[in-house]
Amino acid sequence: MSNASTKQSDQEPLLSPSLLAQLERMELVSRKIFRGRMKGERRSRRKGQSVEFADFRNYVAGDDLRFIDWNMYARLDKLFLKLYLEEEDLHFYTLVDSSPSMKFGNPTKFHYAKQLAGALGYIGLCRADRIKIEPLDGAKTNSAPVLRGRTSLPRMIEYLNQMQCDSNATLTEAVKAFCLRNTGKGILVIITDLMDKSGYEEALKYLVARDLDIYLIHVLSQEEIEPDIQGDLKLVDCEDQDIAEISVSQRLIDRYKSTLATFIEQARDFSSKRGIVYTMTSTERSVERLVSRYLRQRGLVR
Amino acid sequence: MLPWYQWLILGLVPPLIFILYFLKLRRVPLEVPSTYLWTKTVEDLHVNSIWQKLRKNLLLLLQLIAVSLLMLTCLRPGCEGTKLAGDRFIFVVDQSASMSATDTEKGVSRLEEAKEQIYGLLRDMKSTDAAMVISFSDRAVVQQSYTTNKELLRRKIKLIQQTQRGSDINEALTAASGLANPGRTSDKTSERDVQVADALAATLFIFSDGQVKEVPKFIFGNLSAEYRPVGTLIGRPDNLGITAFAINSQLESDSQIQVFARLLNSGDEDKTANIALYVNDELQDARQVEIPGRGDKDIAGGNSVPLNFDLTQFATELESAVPIRLEIEDKDVYMQDNVAYTVLNPARMATILVVSDYNKYLEYAFNTSFIEKVATIQFEDRDYLKDEEYLKSAALGMYDLVVYDQCQPETMPSCNTVFWGDVPLVEGWAVKEEVETTPIVDLNNNHSVMFGVQLGTVNILQSNILDAPKGSVVLVESVNGPVMTIGPRGGFEDLVIGFPLMQYEDDGDVSNNTDWQNIWSFPLFVQNVVMNLAVKSSVGNSKNQTPGDLVKIRTQIPYPEIDVLNPASSKTSLKIRSDNSFVYSDAQTSGIYSVSEKGESNAEQMFAVNLMDRQESNLEVRDELSLGYEELEQTIQTEPSRRDFWTAILLAALVVLTIEWYIYNRRVFI
Repeated sequence: MSNASTKQSDQEPLLSPSLLAQLERMELVSRKIFRGRMKGERRSRRKGQSVEFADFRNYVAGDDLRFIDWNMYARLDKLFLKLYLEEEDLHFYTLVDSSPSMKFGNPTKFHYAKQLAGALGYIGLCRADRIKIEPLDGAKTNSAPVLRGRTSLPRMIEYLNQMQCDSNATLTEAVKAFCLRNTGKGILVIITDLMDKSGYEEALKYLVARDLDIYLIHVLSQEEIEPDIQGDLKLVDCEDQDIAEISVSQRLIDRYKSTLATFIEQARDFSSKRGIVYTMTSTERSVERLVSRYLRQRGLVR
Repeated sequence: MLPWYQWLILGLVPPLIFILYFLKLRRVPLEVPSTYLWTKTVEDLHVNSIWQKLRKNLLLLLQLIAVSLLMLTCLRPGCEGTKLAGDRFIFVVDQSASMSATDTEKGVSRLEEAKEQIYGLLRDMKSTDAAMVISFSDRAVVQQSYTTNKELLRRKIKLIQQTQRGSDINEALTAASGLANPGRTSDKTSERDVQVADALAATLFIFSDGQVKEVPKFIFGNLSAEYRPVGTLIGRPDNLGITAFAINSQLESDSQIQVFARLLNSGDEDKTANIALYVNDELQDARQVEIPGRGDKDIAGGNSVPLNFDLTQFATELESAVPIRLEIEDKDVYMQDNVAYTVLNPARMATILVVSDYNKYLEYAFNTSFIEKVATIQFEDRDYLKDEEYLKSAALGMYDLVVYDQCQPETMPSCNTVFWGDVPLVEGWAVKEEVETTPIVDLNNNHSVMFGVQLGTVNILQSNILDAPKGSVVLVESVNGPVMTIGPRGGFEDLVIGFPLMQYEDDGDVSNNTDWQNIWSFPLFVQNVVMNLAVKSSVGNSKNQTPGDLVKIRTQIPYPEIDVLNPASSKTSLKIRSDNSFVYSDAQTSGIYSVSEKGESNAEQMFAVNLMDRQESNLEVRDELSLGYEELEQTIQTEPSRRDFWTAILLAALVVLTIEWYIYNRRVFI
């Protein structure tokens, strides 16, 4: 685990111009249609003002005369009102795991998570969605800004850059705190390594209860997927200083890999049973590729 | 054995490794994102108790094996074995032709079998024991002098080659006893006579089939000898062999050419042999010959059958030497004696010059019908010695023999000579004194010239007592000294007879000096002289050589250099020596050797090399060997000893450690 190279790759800008150009053409997709708070670019179940026709209804006194279909009145001698679809904004939440375990990898999982959050956020900003990126630090107060519109990009980047990964809250605590603070419905992307000894199931259950369109992006570093270690080692957990003594052997490595595979499989199972879209990614896989290919396949972006 | 506390320490080692293995004292701390998955993984591994872990822990297993082996090494395991008694050994290996017989159990040659036996003895030797290796055929070679380096000994033994020669162990025994029985100072009667070196007693192992020449006088002294017979000791191996093969002289037998052979059956059973005779490599004759076996009778060496072939038809067309080969076509365990070679040379009459003043006895003796068949005789008087023709012919070697009756040439001719009543003008020859009426006391009838010659009743009136050069052989000795001596001169021989047949007085009277010419032994002597000094040299090299012999070659024309082509078709160039002859020392294998002028391909002459040794063809392995005054029986003198395994176990431990190290470092499988 070379810190030097970690730092170096973390110095890279979160969003490169080419990535931004690519993201501008994309759109966040929700499998559910939610009620937005403000007028946006998304069709709503609500009827309202837009160019898209939805239905007719009988005129009742007090209706805006501008929407009366005069052609219909001429033919049928009845007043009908034309209804148009209302276009609303989308609530898009991104939760970034900020536990110390995210500090590992090259680039670090945390950096990768921020990049991803930024990329998805930018897609939302371009479509005038309501973007909120929060670290999973279990904070009781709502410190994260709500962003909207393309002009908010610098603010978002600045906010992401100052985000620290030193939370000591468990995943469950952090998610619980988020749920208490935010009530809106919409899309929620949670970016985490799921490395929480108390388990991730509880945390996800909280989110499921909120009727959100949830996407779980499971980030793992290469050293977790293919550990390149040798000899007799004393492994120290960076979060709780827990110690695991191992003598590395091919057999142990094989065993570890099968444990990891089971872990991923369980997470995928758990997620799919609860309507959560699960995506596992390695920090080796570029954000561009993840967004343009994998998340598109999963239906998060279009 | 170890005292108890050392045992205790030793016993504590494996548990210590075991404990250390689990304590895992040396662990490198490493910070990881989460030990969550690792803990789960390790928990899985730990589920199945400690033994589960051990079961698959190859490294620990290897370490424990290595330590166990090392501990075993400390126990010094061994078993009851044998070791050779003594600390100095001499291995004498027979490499004669009969050792090529393949009648051993494994089907390898006796020599290989002997080598295997020696390797076995080398294994039984202690590391401080020294040994030397001597091989012998008809001569002995010290292959390796005393050394404690067993690998060197093994290598030298491996290098011992099969030869095609006879067996004579005498030289090998002399070489072997050199250190064991060191010589003494020359003056044995002196009080100061001391042994020049300390005697080093040694055990002598003789690996042979026992078919060696008798060694009548040999004292083992400090040597203790053991005889290890090699080959089949049960019964006699079947073997057919050719023990003689020769061509008669055409001159003696009226241009008839006959080839004589003798076939030997050294086995017990009667055998039928298929014989093939090849002349110039073309099949000339083939026969089936019954050869009776020894049966129950103990016929020394085996039964033999004579055989002859008539090749007279070749006499007329014979222009150059023709190789002749006789083969027994049936395979047996000893193939060396299944083929024999000889050469049929074109007949040539010997030329003899007799220089005398009308010595009628000589004329009579040289004019017998037998001599006329084999030689042309030219009689000349003493003045002829000054004749140009004589000087030229003598210098060029045109004569095979010149007889000088009471005269001496100024320069010696290039041929054999006989001097009667005078001595050659050559350094070494001299008349010691002139004596009258000297009785003959001794005759050397072993010499071919004197074969069958009796001089017991011969009277001699006047004679010279001869002084001869080194290497001469006295043929007739009188009371006063030698009166007939034969001596070498380069490649030639000079026969000098001190007493003339006739006395020539100054007044012209001629009287007999001896009455030898009146008895039958005189013409016999002359005939011997002609056959041995004239005809033999004219026939040249048609006589058989045995492998390893020095072959003296004399060409018709004295070429400065010749090529000798051996049976394996490799050429050797020889330079002429001062006596107009060549010496070829490389006739190691039997076969036909051809001689040609250097650069020429036509063979000027050929000679055959054959072993034809009845002793070698007799494959019966003797179960005891009589050497000198001792009878050596087949014995094995070993003393019980420990045979240690600790070196091998230590080696195994090192190998296990190396594997462990490799696995640990390269993580092949852990």
